[in-house]
Amino acid sequence: MKKLPIIATVVAIGGVFLALSSAFVVDARQKALVLEFGDVKNVIEEPGLHWKIPFIQEVVLYDARILSLDTPSLEVTPKDNRRLVVDAFARYRISDLRKFRQAVGTGGTSKAEGRLVSILNAQLRAVLGEVDSGDILSADRAELMAKIRDGAIQQSLNLGLEVVDVRIKRADLPEANLNSTFERMQAERQREAADQRARGEEAAQRVRANADRQSLELVSSAQRDADIIRGEADAESNRVYAEAYGRDAEFFNFYRSLSAYEMALKGSNSSMVISPDSPFFEYFVDPLGAAAPQ
Amino acid sequence: MPYNSNSGGPWGGGGGNRGDDDQNKGQRPPPRGQQPAPDIDELMRKGQEKLKGIMGGGGGGGNGGGGGAGIGKGGFALIALAIVGLWGYNSFYTVKPEEKSVELFLGKFSKIGGPGLNFAPWPVVEAIVLDVSSERTENIGVGGAGRGSQGLMLTGDENIVDIDFQLVWNIDEPDNYLFKLENPQETIRAVSESAMREVVGRSDLAPILNRDREAISLEVQELVQATLNSYESGINIVRLNFDKADPPAQVIEYFRDVQAAEQDRDTSEKKADAYANTVLAQARGQSAELLQQAEGYRAQVVNIAQGEASRFIAVYDEYAKAPEVTRQRLYLETMERVLGDVNKVIIGEESGGQGVVPYLPLNQLTSGGSN
Repeated sequence: MKKLPIIATVVAIGGVFLALSSAFVVDARQKALVLEFGDVKNVIEEPGLHWKIPFIQEVVLYDARILSLDTPSLEVTPKDNRRLVVDAFARYRISDLRKFRQAVGTGGTSKAEGRLVSILNAQLRAVLGEVDSGDILSADRAELMAKIRDGAIQQSLNLGLEVVDVRIKRADLPEANLNSTFERMQAERQREAADQRARGEEAAQRVRANADRQSLELVSSAQRDADIIRGEADAESNRVYAEAYGRDAEFFNFYRSLSAYEMALKGSNSSMVISPDSPFFEYFVDPLGAAAPQ
Repeated sequence: MPYNSNSGGPWGGGGGNRGDDDQNKGQRPPPRGQQPAPDIDELMRKGQEKLKGIMGGGGGGGNGGGGGAGIGKGGFALIALAIVGLWGYNSFYTVKPEEKSVELFLGKFSKIGGPGLNFAPWPVVEAIVLDVSSERTENIGVGGAGRGSQGLMLTGDENIVDIDFQLVWNIDEPDNYLFKLENPQETIRAVSESAMREVVGRSDLAPILNRDREAISLEVQELVQATLNSYESGINIVRLNFDKADPPAQVIEYFRDVQAAEQDRDTSEKKADAYANTVLAQARGQSAELLQQAEGYRAQVVNIAQGEASRFIAVYDEYAKAPEVTRQRLYLETMERVLGDVNKVIIGEESGGQGVVPYLPLNQLTSGGSN
C-alpha cells in the first residue's frame, strides 16, 4: 500500500526521462543527422521537433546557413603571361548531408573548407589562365566569376556542398610591380606638368613679342607723322616769308641787313675803325653833305 | 560547424553549444530571452523534491504529522509560486521601436514580433531580438582587417587609386538575416570590396579623381544590393560614402605638381599680359608726345614766320609811301644805335699819304673792348 505511490512516481519520472531523451529540436538555422552506431539513419532538413530512439541513436547538428570561405592570395598566370595576384571568396552551404558526412567524417567544415579551397584555386587558375590579364583587370569580371562559380559547383557536388557564389575580391598586379606602376604614374604626371609649364611659357612669349612689335609700330609711325608735321611747318613758314619778302626783294635786303648789323655788332665788345668817308658821316665834314658838288 | 550532442539530450546539447557559438562569433547581436536549457538532472531533482514534499506531508502524519504536514504543504506552495514566477519572467520579453524579434517554435520559424511586450512561452518558444532600423557602418580601405595595402585599387587604364569608403546598412528582413547567412558582416565587407574593385576596374583614373564619385557610388551600391539579395540575406544597403578617392601616397605629390604647373601656366600668361599692357601704354604715350612736340614746333615756327612777315609788311607799307626818306631814316637810326655802343677809332685818309700809320695792337683792342 505504501509502496504503490512511490513506484508510480518512479515510473512517471522514468517515462518523462525517456520522452526527453527521444525528442530533439532542430533550429531553423540547423540541419541534423541521426546516427545509429555511426551509420546514417535519418537526414533532418526541416526545423522543429523530431524523435529518435533513445540511447541507441545520436544527433549531430550542422549549420544550414550560407557559410563563408576566403581563399588566400593566389598568383595566377593569364594567357599573356602577365602575372596577377587574385583574392577570391566563396559562399557555400551544405546541401547533401549524407555525402558531406561521407566526405569529411567528423572533420566537419574545417576539413571541407580545406578541400573547397583547393577546388577554388584550381578553378581560378583554369578560368583565368585562358584570358588576357587586361580582361581580368578591367573588362567583364562578372562573366569570369560566373564561369569559376559554375566550375566550382560541379566539383563540390561530391562533397555534398552547394557553392552559392564565387567572387573575385581583388585582382591586382603583384607587389613587385607596384613600384613600376607608381614610377609610370609619376613619369606621366611629370610629363604633364612640364607640358603645362612649357605651354604657359610659349603663350607668354608670344604675347610679349606681339606687344613689343606693336609698340614699335606705334612709336615709329608717330615719329613719321611728327616729321611730316615738322616738314609741313617748315614749308609753311618758308612760304610765309617768301610771300612777304617777295614783295620787294631789294628793300628786304636793305632792311634785313640793317637788322643783321644791329644784332651782330651789339654790345661794347666790338671795336671798329671807321673812316669819316663812310656815308654815315656825310654831313660830319661838310654841312652840305659829302655828296654836294664841290 | 557540426554540433556534437551531449549525453544530456536535446536541449542540454543545443543550449550548451549555442553558448559556444555566441563566444566565437561575437558580431551577431546577442539573442535575448534565451536561457541555457537546464540539465535533465536538475529537472529530475526538482521534481523529486516536490514529490518528497507531498510524500513527507502524507507520511509524517503519524508523529509530528500536523506540524510536518503544515511545513510540507506551505513549502510546496512557495516553491510552486517561485517556479511559476521564474517561468513568467522567462516567457515575456520587450521589443523596442527600432527592433524586431524572430520567434522560433520548437526551432521552427513561427512569427516576427513587433514593438512592445511579447509572449514566448519557455521552453517551447525561443525569441531572438534584433536591432533592425539602426544603421550600421562598415569601413573598407581604412586599415581594417585584411591584407597589405588595403585601399589601393587598380583602374581600367592600369593606374592605381587609393580608395576608402563606408557602407551603411541595416536589416530588412530579420528572419532571413538570422537564417540565411552565417556571418552577415563578413559577407557584406567581402561583397562590397569586390564590387568596388570591379567598378573601379572598369573606369579610368581621371574620372574617379575628378568627382565622378556619385555615379561610381551608385553603381557599387546596386551591385552589392543585388548580390546580397541573391543570397536572400535580408540586408538593406542604405548608402555608400566615399571617404577618399585619391592617387596613392607614393605619387600624390606629382599629381599636385600638375595642378601647380597649371597655376604656373596661368601666372606666366597673366604676367605676359601685364607686360604687354605696360609696353603698349608706354608706346602710346611716347607717340602722343612725339606728335605733340611736332605740333608745337609747327605752331612755333609758323607763328614766328607770320610775326616777322607781318612786321616786315607793316614797315614795307610805310616805306612804300615815302621810300627815300624812310630808307635814309632807317639807315641813320640803325647806325646810330650800332656805332653808339661800339669802341670806335676814326682815322681820316686825307691827311696825305703820311699821316698816322695805323698800328693796331689787336690784343689790346680786344681786351680793351671787353670793358
